[in-house]
Amino acid sequence: MRRAIWLSVALALVIAYPLLFSTPFQQRLGALVLLYAIAASAWNIVGGYAGQVSVGHVVFFGCGAYAAMAVYHHLQLSPLVGIPVGIVVAVGIAAVIGVPTLRLSGHYFSMATIAVAELARLIVINIEFLGAAVGLSGPPVPRNVFDVSFISALPYYYLFLIILIITLGITWWMTESRMGFYLRAIRDSERAARSLGAPASRTKLYAFMLSAGFTSVAGALYAMMFGFVDPESGLGILLSVKMLIMAALGGAGLLFGPLVGAAILVPLEEISNNWLGGKGAGLTFVLYGAIIVLIARFQPGGLLELVYRLVAKFRKAPEEVAAQGDKRAP
Amino acid sequence: MKFKHMLGLLSAAAMSLALTSGALAQQTVKIGAIFPFSGNAASAGNHAKAAIEVAMDIINNDHPELGDFPLAKGAGLPGLGGAKVEVVFADNQGSPATGQNQALRLITEEKVVALTGAYQSGVTLTVSQITEKYGIPLVNGESVAAGLTERGFKWFFRTTPVASDFARDYYDFLTDMKAAGAKVDSVALVHDNTEYGTSVANTITAAFKAKGMANIIDVAYPANATDIQSQVLQLKEKKPDVVIMITYTSDAILFAKTMQAQDYKPPMLLADDAGYSDPSFLKAAGNISVGAFNRSSWSVGKPGSPTAIIAKMYKDKSGDEMDDTAGRQMTGFLVLMEAINRAGSTDPAKIQAALKATDLKPDQLVLGYKGVKFDEKGQNILASGFIIQLQDGQNYVAVWPKATAEKPPVMPYKGW
Repeated sequence: MRRAIWLSVALALVIAYPLLFSTPFQQRLGALVLLYAIAASAWNIVGGYAGQVSVGHVVFFGCGAYAAMAVYHHLQLSPLVGIPVGIVVAVGIAAVIGVPTLRLSGHYFSMATIAVAELARLIVINIEFLGAAVGLSGPPVPRNVFDVSFISALPYYYLFLIILIITLGITWWMTESRMGFYLRAIRDSERAARSLGAPASRTKLYAFMLSAGFTSVAGALYAMMFGFVDPESGLGILLSVKMLIMAALGGAGLLFGPLVGAAILVPLEEISNNWLGGKGAGLTFVLYGAIIVLIARFQPGGLLELVYRLVAKFRKAPEEVAAQGDKRAP
Repeated sequence: MKFKHMLGLLSAAAMSLALTSGALAQQTVKIGAIFPFSGNAASAGNHAKAAIEVAMDIINNDHPELGDFPLAKGAGLPGLGGAKVEVVFADNQGSPATGQNQALRLITEEKVVALTGAYQSGVTLTVSQITEKYGIPLVNGESVAAGLTERGFKWFFRTTPVASDFARDYYDFLTDMKAAGAKVDSVALVHDNTEYGTSVANTITAAFKAKGMANIIDVAYPANATDIQSQVLQLKEKKPDVVIMITYTSDAILFAKTMQAQDYKPPMLLADDAGYSDPSFLKAAGNISVGAFNRSSWSVGKPGSPTAIIAKMYKDKSGDEMDDTAGRQMTGFLVLMEAINRAGSTDPAKIQAALKATDLKPDQLVLGYKGVKFDEKGQNILASGFIIQLQDGQNYVAVWPKATAEKPPVMPYKGW
């Protein structure tokens, strides 16, 4: 009950944010937080809950981004049509690469996903249909509202918020289902889970495909907002790392972890760039890196985990700690 | 009671301060400049910053030694009552998304009246979408992707020559060389598979074929190659009269060394700027590339000329020699400022109108363009370049066109 109250307060704040902080830059910052939260939450399904640390998720992001721009570029359709196309392609690719790579354990899986992502980038650089090295751009001037090209960030903000709620809703439903229990069992010990009859390979693959689908939606939304995708921005490995860091910072394997991570890292990156970027010394990334190092050193479970722990301590309710404990990151 | 009076007085003082600072702010013209200050292209961004700071110095301070160079005489912009120009720099981190975020911030938070930048073509593309939506002029001096001016934008202006301009220059140069007795019947295009390499090669091929030069050999190689023996062998076999090199620095060095190792010298080697203009190429392979022709829009000019003085100001600021890229960025910025001065206003629509009416002559520019005049797409139709030659293995000299040449071209390619 108390949880429901907290959730509705938080939701009300999120809905009110762009009205309280109403300059164009603040609204855009809010939209960016939600956009990266969608991507990081999608990554969290397989990276956090299933404990399979994928560093190749940018492939699925790229599927969505390229699909949205390609349907406009080649067929003059609304980039929105690209969302289902991107999902189908991303889930298909996830199935094809998931079968062999998910057999690998630990860092071998991470390495294989990096290889896939780099391969995808190099292939796309040579595909004329996808704009090769030049990239694809969206509608230069919006023809109608379905081109999703707005001056204000408000429409993006609420569109991203709806998609984020859907992503988190499905993730929550998954964690409460049989699949969620299988995934946590696999994360803690795959061998033990298998010996107890959990269908480990299949469950991991389903999680991978689900995660790929949502990541692709994030990619499509990104391309619509910025109106452009090229191999570096749509398939660059740094984007995968960003998703991973956001989820880890907030709390991998916690429902709201990626959102918290995005809400800290995105403003940090943008605002530090506003302050320091123009000086020409690249100080932005120094600050960014320092904060990541501090968190990795002192709070490796993620900030949200720290909050849960403090709340539990404050309430002195041990059963609450236990309830949160089993959702904690490894 | 007394305290309240004091408070009233204090707030009145504060208000008048705020008002005067507002009045002062009107006397500066705020321009946004988006460049890569971190990431792969950070060095280019910092050179761009130095170039723009030199341009600001020219505008904001009195520079009688520059003669009739636009905005040099007197301090500030005469068209706006001597207003000073202030530039807010922003880092695009080499990312189209960051570039767009920064453009939005510069327009809405910093209230800049116009923008320049953003180096990488992809970033310029996303930045121009924001300037177009907000109706703020963007003058770009350096991004060469052809598509940028093909989108029907009304607030985007580009001063740099693009691939089709280079192709025209190369064709004219080769025609002149033919008239002087050189054989230029077959041309090999050596290019990498990046956006730059493929797009420039495609444009040159199309332009040459349109003029009836059909014998073109395409030699592609992967960028950042470790071995290009087979490409050099291919050249050796086909014996083209002219080899055009469209390569970045590390590949250019590798080609020069492999050509020496295989003892292959084309009769004429013509480079498309990029790697062959890089100071590190000249250090590593200049003495084995003697006689190479290259393209540039920058020439330092005679001692005491405005370009020579500006080159010195740039060197004092950045520590490096002025080059084509810095010159192009400086030109973009100066063209924007000249238009604002002529507009006599910081109203974006008036600046846009002034940009459309821009008509600068060669002696009013840092670079060797035939002038600056925009077509309805926002592309400078008078952009062009020189052909320069590495005659001593260390420094390029301008050899074409004749009007601006320092020395006549020397044939054939000497190599080492």
